[in-house]
Amino acid sequence: MKLIFKPILKYYLKLIAKLVLVIYRPKIIVVAGSVNKTFVRDEIRRALEKAGKSVRANPRNFNTEIGLPLAILNISSGYGSYREWRPVIGKAFRAIWQKNYPDYLVLELGVSSAGDMRYLLSIVAPEISVVTDITQRYLESFPSMNDLVAEYIYLAKKTKKNGAVILNGDNLRVKELTKKAIAPVQYFGETCEKEDDWRIVGIERTGVGQVVEIRHKEKTETFDVPRFGRHHAFALAAALAVDTIINK
Amino acid sequence: MFERTKNLRLSVIKQMELRASRFPDVISLAQGVPSFDTPECIKRRVELALKNGVVAKYSLSPGLSELRELIETKLAEDGMFYDFEKEIIVTAGSIEGITATLFAITNPGDEVIIPEPTYTSYREVILLAGCQPVFVSLDEEKGWAFELEKYEAAITEKTKAIFYCNPNNPTGTIYSKEQLMGLAKLAEKHNLYLISDEVYKDFIFDSGEKIFSLAQLPELRKRVIRLFSFSKSFAMTGWRVAYLHADESIAREILKVHDSLVTCAPVISQYAAMGALEMGDKDIEFFNHEYKKRRDLICCRLDKLSHVFSYVKPTSAYYVFPRILKNDFDFGELKDCPDSLSWRFAIGILERAQVATVPGVAFGPGGEGHIRMSFGRSEKDINRAFDRMEKIFGT
Repeated sequence: MKLIFKPILKYYLKLIAKLVLVIYRPKIIVVAGSVNKTFVRDEIRRALEKAGKSVRANPRNFNTEIGLPLAILNISSGYGSYREWRPVIGKAFRAIWQKNYPDYLVLELGVSSAGDMRYLLSIVAPEISVVTDITQRYLESFPSMNDLVAEYIYLAKKTKKNGAVILNGDNLRVKELTKKAIAPVQYFGETCEKEDDWRIVGIERTGVGQVVEIRHKEKTETFDVPRFGRHHAFALAAALAVDTIINK
Repeated sequence: MFERTKNLRLSVIKQMELRASRFPDVISLAQGVPSFDTPECIKRRVELALKNGVVAKYSLSPGLSELRELIETKLAEDGMFYDFEKEIIVTAGSIEGITATLFAITNPGDEVIIPEPTYTSYREVILLAGCQPVFVSLDEEKGWAFELEKYEAAITEKTKAIFYCNPNNPTGTIYSKEQLMGLAKLAEKHNLYLISDEVYKDFIFDSGEKIFSLAQLPELRKRVIRLFSFSKSFAMTGWRVAYLHADESIAREILKVHDSLVTCAPVISQYAAMGALEMGDKDIEFFNHEYKKRRDLICCRLDKLSHVFSYVKPTSAYYVFPRILKNDFDFGELKDCPDSLSWRFAIGILERAQVATVPGVAFGPGGEGHIRMSFGRSEKDINRAFDRMEKIFGT
């Protein structure tokens, strides 16, 4: 039953999600990488909301072949229950006629096996892609690190030419994606050196979070981040890059 | 010989289970085990991990980074902000987290204050760490609330921490924000750690509001160590997986102990925990709904035995802790029975009605004169157990 149901469901959701994207034409920002996707996604969503944009991000872990279309359609999952899926199928169809569809979608893409990125990018065409990091996480499903990196190379190639690819400049493997990108590339991280980069120059822990200093185009700005951990500084830097591109 | 273990005792709950196992038709309201199986979504997550061949090796000592990242996200939803890389540790059940915490933050000879009645194993772990448990009784008249003046009086220069379970086992009650803030003030005043075991936090029957945790207050970061287990919320007692979080300065010390105790939590269980956090919300809702029904049922059945018991209605967890109103029940001769009302009563109803409960004294001196009944069991079992007790006590 599962063998038949899942492919049909997958195809059905993909079809409707693509139709919805054609109808409403939101600008798509995708966030991919082995770690820190959720925090980067949320930081970008926050930044765009703050700038007054109409924006939606995928909820929770809706970042896979089934989850991504659900995120685009803004409906919940039936998880493993056939009974729970029945209403979802109806809701998916009704989602074609949505009110107030957002202008921007910030979508996290989950890649855990070879070919995942190709499938996800057969649903969405990103204007801006952010690659947070590439680590050995999820490597077990790939023959080698090169095969895992190939997933992100595909993303770099498929990001629209007039969009942007935003890369973690501290990770050499991520940085190498530059060569494959057809869109302009920007970097964020602690070791970036170019004027255009989003360089994290300071992270200071306080009682209620962190004070993060980010340098871009010879200007250093200080941000209060009510969270703990370096990864939030990275998320902020990536979000600033996206926000600046969208609002320029 | 056995200097370290000679004062430890096998959990009374396990002792009662052992006694109960001699009765083939026993109905056990003793063990705090959910009657449900682990939800399907969690099992499927584990199947996938097994299929992908990712469970055979150790994880990093603090746990799989993807799980910790997920935990950080979940904590943030509840207003608690912790760095998954440095401040969250996945443990082999919460008791391992508690053990690692106590070994990290105390020195032999220190005292740890425990509100009681409370979970039986706290005493053992504190003793194992070479410390002294100091019991401070809760006020049954006020719905098992803290009496802060008693805590202040119990604090000495050896006191290192106050260790509480919220919602509390065995009383099934929740400490209010005001009470917890009072504890926090004491901790600040006397430079103490606060260990908050919140394994039952997802079962809230009446208010519908999430419980307040001191871990939500940034100013208490360097004092609070909070623990959560997947065992109860997701019916995963056998998987032995939980987590703790604390400020980096504390977590790095706890991690050293955790690493030497277990290296890492079982990796297969860590994948199960990921499934729980990713997809288990609906199951929690279902369990909560079922436990509320069972709570109402057990209270209704207790009301019919009002000549035997009085009780504070539980608002969380799946326990009720009724007071035994009389001490002159005739259970006949009870073999190997310690000289205490709660023991006699618990063994009495075990032998006469084949209903297993836990004597209240197991949860601290203030628990004497009570028994703990779990409504983690099915409604059918609860009804059968009370039918049997009614036969003995009448209605």
